Amino acid sequence: MFGSQKVKIEGELLEQAKQCADACGYESVDEFVIHMLEKEVKKILAPEDGGAAPSREEVKKRLQGLGYIE
Amino acid sequence: MSCACLFLLTSCQRGRADASGGKKLIVLGIDGMDPQLLRKFMQEGKMPNFSRLAEQGSFKELGTSIPPQSPVAWSNLITGMNAGGHGIFDFIHRDPKTFELYFSTSRVEAPKHNVRLGNWVVPIGSGTAEQLRKGTAFWTVLDQHDIPNSVFRIPANFPPIPAKGETVSGMGTPDLRGTYGTFTFYTDDATAVAGPVEGGQIVPVQVENSEVKTSLIGPDNSFRKGSPPATEPFRVAIDPLEPVASVSFQNQEFVLREGEWSGWVPVEFQLIPFFGNVKGICRFYLKQAHPRFQLYVSPINIDPANPALPISTPKTYSKQLSEEVGEFYTQGIAEDTKALSSAVLDDKEYLEQSREVLAEHRRIFDAEFPKFRDGMFFFYFSSLDLNSHMFWRLMDEKHPGYDAALAAQNANAIEWFYHQIDEVLGEVIPKLDAGTTLLVLSDHGFAPYNRSFNLNTWLLQNGYVVMKNDSTQDSAEPLANVDWSKTRAYGLGLNGLYVNLRGRERQGIVAPGAEEDALIREISDKLLAERDPKTNLPIITRMDRASVVYQGPYANSGPDLLVGYNRGYRAGWQTILGAFPPDVIEDNTNPWSGDHCMDSTLVPGVVLSNRKIAMENPALTDIAPTVFAEFGIAKPGDLRGQSIFEAATRN
Repeated sequence: MFGSQKVKIEGELLEQAKQCADACGYESVDEFVIHMLEKEVKKILAPEDGGAAPSREEVKKRLQGLGYIE
Repeated sequence: MSCACLFLLTSCQRGRADASGGKKLIVLGIDGMDPQLLRKFMQEGKMPNFSRLAEQGSFKELGTSIPPQSPVAWSNLITGMNAGGHGIFDFIHRDPKTFELYFSTSRVEAPKHNVRLGNWVVPIGSGTAEQLRKGTAFWTVLDQHDIPNSVFRIPANFPPIPAKGETVSGMGTPDLRGTYGTFTFYTDDATAVAGPVEGGQIVPVQVENSEVKTSLIGPDNSFRKGSPPATEPFRVAIDPLEPVASVSFQNQEFVLREGEWSGWVPVEFQLIPFFGNVKGICRFYLKQAHPRFQLYVSPINIDPANPALPISTPKTYSKQLSEEVGEFYTQGIAEDTKALSSAVLDDKEYLEQSREVLAEHRRIFDAEFPKFRDGMFFFYFSSLDLNSHMFWRLMDEKHPGYDAALAAQNANAIEWFYHQIDEVLGEVIPKLDAGTTLLVLSDHGFAPYNRSFNLNTWLLQNGYVVMKNDSTQDSAEPLANVDWSKTRAYGLGLNGLYVNLRGRERQGIVAPGAEEDALIREISDKLLAERDPKTNLPIITRMDRASVVYQGPYANSGPDLLVGYNRGYRAGWQTILGAFPPDVIEDNTNPWSGDHCMDSTLVPGVVLSNRKIAMENPALTDIAPTVFAEFGIAKPGDLRGQSIFEAATRN
């Protein structure tokens, strides 16, 4: 539905991404890069996306103990 | 070797004591002590020690912070600066780019990097707790001048900043689940709705053969994929005839009668087998054994004997203290107001819990105060604040939550706590000598909270907020569905009003400068003109512009306008997190019935001393300069206040 887009990563960034993927147990660089992008996109787009920031309900739960929030 | 160390230690201690020149300063911080109530109770002869102190020394109102919220107010006191200097503007702050909300004074973060091993996610490194308050704390300055000091439970000091003396963190310290208090309530009542409630969680259970098998819910287990909460099983055997139950938990067993609280129970959550665990403490309360099973478990507190996060300086001090006085509540706000608001605990049960919190504080005070020899001793009491929040409705017949039957039982609940603080003062006064200065002070006063004003709903109705789609505005998704390309202002926090400013907010549309100024003037004028249709009273009596009332490097980091509500009014419960309830104004029937997050001039705090307070209008920002002056320390150049013992008038 949304199509796909290839992104070229090369040189030092590619090497570093490989190192990170290995160190963190990702099965491939692709999996690592997609996971990182998902995290950042979610963080940046959430407010205008019609949705709350990803941690909003969690924030509410945390803050309720202060008493000032219902 | 040990003799040399001992000599060195003794020399250092003597060196610090010498630096104070034998001067002693005692500061009792009484959160929420209100001048009107204090005067009333003094006139009625119920506060003999406060009356004595006022007669022989001084009693004045103490100007509070803008806005008068505890983290802001205590930060004013701690640093001697206003929010522009310490950067704490509200309980809740927002990131203007992402609209992420967070507690203003600290941030607890999980480890940033993980390694996946099947279903396990192993963090690399450990999580961190970061204090967000800026500026220099007065006890840091005392440390720099080798003045001995100890600071107990002062708010806005989690994690505690490095200090030479003994400090224990207070308001802002989370529970083991990373929240500011999450209780658990186990019940076999089929009508109870399972899941999260305000500040807690309802867990349905089944009673089979007079036995309940369930689990204690711990912190999210970041070691496991998806971070599900860690749990530990426990069993409750209910006596089939008597209102008694036996709780078996991690090789511990204890019996509770109906209506009885357990002591502190140590708990240990295993996060990864044989590798990672975390320790906490909690209390159980058997609300009912028959016919319904009802068991309350307190938020799981960080264990002071084995703290999972830093809560004291030196780090070993909380363990030492717990060995001396027993385990104690470490969460920042220990009084479980949410259990009362959620009707999990009733007035009597909440009062018992709240009285135990105060009893713990008094045990710590009684253990530590006699050790005070030199320098400065600060001790904080939370009870008046939390109980004025919860029981205003029982002493004020005009409050929407007033209930004559409940009032007949507990109308004097607030008075009882005031009297307890008077007893504490009664322990201090006999210890005062010519070289000792005593300050008893509060961060703000109190007022009824009768009516809620939903600022965001007002902004929406007046065209300052525009929604993308009217049909989907609801309170479940704060600031959701806002059309930022057409929205000019929004509310967040208890007193904060923000302009959707170009260059600051990610989709800001209001140009800084003339357009911003005009918008701020327009909104201020309209809000000040708003009247409550029920009472015909003004709802808002003061609008402070941040650029006028704040000075310092963070003056532009917070809200653009601070909304000062009239006595009796406060920001509505849901507007605080950016929601849009249907009505602009409504009754507050929550047991949380008193408040102070309003016009700062309407809720001053108090300051009493055994010495003459010469300053005509002392304020919180004068306290740090007062502390410095007491020890002959030159006031840092960025502080605008001065010692309250010097004559001066504040405009």
